[in-house]
Amino acid sequence: MFNRYGKSAVMVASAAIVVAGLSGCASGKVAGGSSSTETGSCAGSPTSGTIGLIGYADIWQKQYQDAVIKPFEAKYPDIKVEYQSKRSSSDMLAALQSQGSSPTTDVAIMDSAVAASGNKQGLFQKISEADVPNVAHVKKDILDTGDYGPVLQADAVGLLYDTTKVPSAPTSWNILWDPQYKQKVSVVAPPSGLGINLTMITAKMEGEDFTKSIDKAVDRLKELAPNVQTWAPLPDEYQNIITGQTVLGMGQNARGQYYSDQSNGKLGIAFPKEGTMYQINTINLLKNAPNCAAAKTFMNYALSPEAQVAFAKALFYAPSVDNAELPADVADRVVKTDGSIDIITYDPEWLATVRSDWTDIWKREIIGG
Amino acid sequence: MTTTVISTLEIDPDGNRGHLERARSRHNRLVAWGLVIPALAALIVSYAYPLVWMIRMSFNIGLGDGLYVETYSLDSYLKSLSDSYYWEVIGNTLFLGVLVAVLCVAVSYPIALFLARTNSKWKSLLVALAIAPLLTSAVVRTFGWIVILGTQGLVNSTLKGWGLIDTPLPLANSFTGVAIGLVEIFMPYAILGMMSGFGRLNTQLEEAASSLGANRAAVFFRITLPLSLPGLLTALLLVFVLTISTFVTPQLLGGGRVHVMATEIYDQTTGLLNWPFAASLSVILLILFGSVVALYQRAARRLGA
Repeated sequence: MFNRYGKSAVMVASAAIVVAGLSGCASGKVAGGSSSTETGSCAGSPTSGTIGLIGYADIWQKQYQDAVIKPFEAKYPDIKVEYQSKRSSSDMLAALQSQGSSPTTDVAIMDSAVAASGNKQGLFQKISEADVPNVAHVKKDILDTGDYGPVLQADAVGLLYDTTKVPSAPTSWNILWDPQYKQKVSVVAPPSGLGINLTMITAKMEGEDFTKSIDKAVDRLKELAPNVQTWAPLPDEYQNIITGQTVLGMGQNARGQYYSDQSNGKLGIAFPKEGTMYQINTINLLKNAPNCAAAKTFMNYALSPEAQVAFAKALFYAPSVDNAELPADVADRVVKTDGSIDIITYDPEWLATVRSDWTDIWKREIIGG
Repeated sequence: MTTTVISTLEIDPDGNRGHLERARSRHNRLVAWGLVIPALAALIVSYAYPLVWMIRMSFNIGLGDGLYVETYSLDSYLKSLSDSYYWEVIGNTLFLGVLVAVLCVAVSYPIALFLARTNSKWKSLLVALAIAPLLTSAVVRTFGWIVILGTQGLVNSTLKGWGLIDTPLPLANSFTGVAIGLVEIFMPYAILGMMSGFGRLNTQLEEAASSLGANRAAVFFRITLPLSLPGLLTALLLVFVLTISTFVTPQLLGGGRVHVMATEIYDQTTGLLNWPFAASLSVILLILFGSVVALYQRAARRLGA
């Protein structure tokens, strides 16, 4: 008896699940972003509430909390910052997409290329100087984000090396191909941004316009493969060198500088002559942010000289505002944004269209099985 | 002599069940549903609905960066099934699954056999020790293997110290490393799987064979092994399905070189945010998984397990 009823009930339940799963799917509709319209209104009080801030995990989180969030909370005791950490900007974008048009997060600090995708999808609000006065000091020559979330800090991709095994700071990316470092190199493969950056750098070294073709870069990167010990360094590219697993790699200058201090100078970072790429973080306000007014207060603080200098001292990111004065010893170690380093530029929207194809090419032709 | 009194309320003159019987039956049904519904609801919310959502997602068209067109299209399936790379990935996944299952069962079999047959007073402790690695996360054990198999790890240092190698062997960051790590990580499951299927093993049959002149090898191959086949099959299936769906060890120990379905799904989901394509790969993995379970059931029926 139970079996008969049970089977019927299970079938009805299954049918309900299928209907529920398949319903609400309008054919041809683009989904994934926010469908809400842009709002000028701002919820909550500018001096109280709890802000949801999404940002990077690990050392970035720790240093940002100590250098920026804690002083901010001390200055505005009625505002609390709830930090949601994510491993990458892509993870942040996915998390924000899942919140839809009623987000629980107010502010997102993420890579500018991913933020550009978020802007396109309608996830973020436009920001003006009236909303966040310190936006007036943000240097537009690093990256012009239009009216969207301004640049918060800048960094660049550097060549990492073991100072005990490489006699002097490398001046060319070509050292990665040097046969004496066979199985001593770590490269973070795409879809990671570092692998994508290496593709562009290699294309430039080969005299190729990477917006049209990367064939020559791919051929050159295939020659790099025998030198590579790992395409997914663990725990990360910095520790691999510090522990002696590898001798060379590529990584972010800011983190590299921090770990260089932690390793008593064993880890070195260089910007080779062929050029490098910025890694820029923007600070973005979510559309329909539940604590929008307090979030703007936080954004203004994050763009203040006080917060910018504190974080540059803590993790060596270059400030994005023109009124931040760094001590000389810190200024020497953050990436220069005055044009003295050859920076390879690209359009983030264009990159979004090729990232998947480049990842495929790396897996099939460069890494292999 | 006992007399059974049947109430007229329970069976009527035509032999049909009475009101009391029907009421009892109804009550039992309600109790059964009451017990089943919480688990069923949890299963629907946590498993069935996400599964249907995933299958639905696989028919959308991914645009990257988390955007997709809601439609009914086979694009994602065609993209993966018409591309030799993804066939290679499917092949890698199956090969890794078979390799790890066979090696894991081969190294676990003597331990399981010993634990199943021993009459030692320490048997419970020995069984607990055999499955104790399960108390440690697979992530932690994988990191342990990274240290052991790394270029400066225990294995390479020892071999170098003995003068057997000049340059470190590429044990970590390779398919070899992943296979070694997975065999060790899944050994407790194989041991448990085999022990649960060793019910038909009987030492008296082995003793009878020996007394009739069979040597040790003959006893093993003609008595012990055939009787332990159901257990072996259970362990093989268990380790195989765990291996083809595992993500952590290939991702951490593979050094980006080991491309299996789970790592591809991860890249598409978190790196490229192409959810329809990731969903289609997940459905393909699910079909593979289902096919293997169906084959297992067929084989188990033949063996009478």
